[in-house]
Amino acid sequence: MTTTFKKSILLFLFLGTATLFAEINKGVTFPYVNFPMKEGKGMYSTKGKCNMCHSFGYVINQGKQSRKFWHNKVMKMIVVFKAPIKTQKDIDTVVNYLFENYGNGELE
Amino acid sequence: MERRDFFKKAIVTAGAVATGTSTLEANETVHPIDNRKVSNVAFPEKRPLITYSDRPPLLETPREVFTSALTPNDLFFVRWHMPMIPNYINPNTFSISINGLVEKDIKVSLKELKTEFKQVELIAVLQCGGNSRTAFNPTASGIQWGIGAMGCARWKGVRLKDVLEYAGLKKEAAWIGFNGEDKAVYNETANFVRELKLEHLNDNIILAYEMNGEDLPYLNGYPLRLILPGIYSDSWIKMISNITVTKEKQKLHFMDHAYRVPDNECECETPENLAQKTKPIEEMNVNSIIGYPVTGTKVRNASDLVVRGVAFDGGHGIRKVQISIDGGEKWEDALLDDGIEGKYAYRAFTYAFKPKESGALTIMCKATNKKGDVQPFAKDIKWNHGGYKYNGIDEVTVEVL
Repeated sequence: MTTTFKKSILLFLFLGTATLFAEINKGVTFPYVNFPMKEGKGMYSTKGKCNMCHSFGYVINQGKQSRKFWHNKVMKMIVVFKAPIKTQKDIDTVVNYLFENYGNGELE
Repeated sequence: MERRDFFKKAIVTAGAVATGTSTLEANETVHPIDNRKVSNVAFPEKRPLITYSDRPPLLETPREVFTSALTPNDLFFVRWHMPMIPNYINPNTFSISINGLVEKDIKVSLKELKTEFKQVELIAVLQCGGNSRTAFNPTASGIQWGIGAMGCARWKGVRLKDVLEYAGLKKEAAWIGFNGEDKAVYNETANFVRELKLEHLNDNIILAYEMNGEDLPYLNGYPLRLILPGIYSDSWIKMISNITVTKEKQKLHFMDHAYRVPDNECECETPENLAQKTKPIEEMNVNSIIGYPVTGTKVRNASDLVVRGVAFDGGHGIRKVQISIDGGEKWEDALLDDGIEGKYAYRAFTYAFKPKESGALTIMCKATNKKGDVQPFAKDIKWNHGGYKYNGIDEVTVEVL
């Protein structure tokens, strides 16, 4: 009885380990991290336009920047990375939100 | 702070928030932002690190790690450009394609790489060109890294040269383009492709499948990545799955616009007068970082304090590391390790002394390489718009009790 018990424990440990390795071989899971956005005019629009492709952390870790900087970034996202920001109104909304909430107060 | 405490101090922060340096006097380079807290979220195969973004993952190594010549895989920094990263790759079916100006388009499996080619190992520092970007003022564009967008590992793999020879380069071949498995959300977005001039190909450039004796972590490019010793990490393509050989350089955003510095003597410019001519960042500057103590560490007066850190450059080798405890007036040599890890690796250094009076004490370190390049003071480093290649004299301020 004891031996069988021991055996089953061993078997369990063995199978357990095997499963663990198999799990690792199945790949990994990337966690979600929340990067809160400041409340402000255009927040939801900016969220929809930017966070579709990348985290908001990627945006705010550019540091506090000028209006021109944020405008150029948005244009780069459109021209180089093909972001689906189609109208001038949408561009202005996103640039205004970023500058008002993550700006350095400078126009240029 | 004990290393153990540093993990305990992994307090709840939903990612580090950049404060930027834009309120400071224009164009004065400062010390990079230090002591950011690690996140409470661990990424796969990693311990919690300073977290700037989850999509794509951008993770920085805390300062305390830089006390030894090798950086553990689970503490190694992470930087991806594209947000869609495969979270499963089957090593039994994975292969890399070699095409373009080659005798035959081929696919080489991971298994073949491990069995059909000469296996090589080397130790090399991997550092982002924008490491320490927070030093620059006004705030330079890009991730606002502190000092930890770097690490050093033992890489095992095969020579790129051997794999290219196996495919057979055509006579007109001049550029080698590399692409990994990471993708943008939109198909229209170009991949993160980097190119190497064929004339820069050498025996030290390898396709690595192992890092510090283990499979590469997914976030460091499992199952295969490019290793370019001495060169900033922009071309160290992760999850590399395609190599295309061409005659002409392709038009690529990440080659033509990103990772470039002014093509002048000081590699500098001003926001009002940006350089017209630029060049790739390429070879790493001489640099050194103190891993222990860190700013805020409390030490006893007259106790035996051992300063530890790492120094490296682009492959000329480190001649000396010096320490100053009087604000940079007097410098004394630190002890360097034996350097058997090679000229592309970190040289770990130590410097033992007894603090003589209570209060704040600033400890600085400065490396000189065998070419004679010396790290400048932070304030003497001139601005460039991408915030690249910072290598200011490092410092930490401890509290002597």
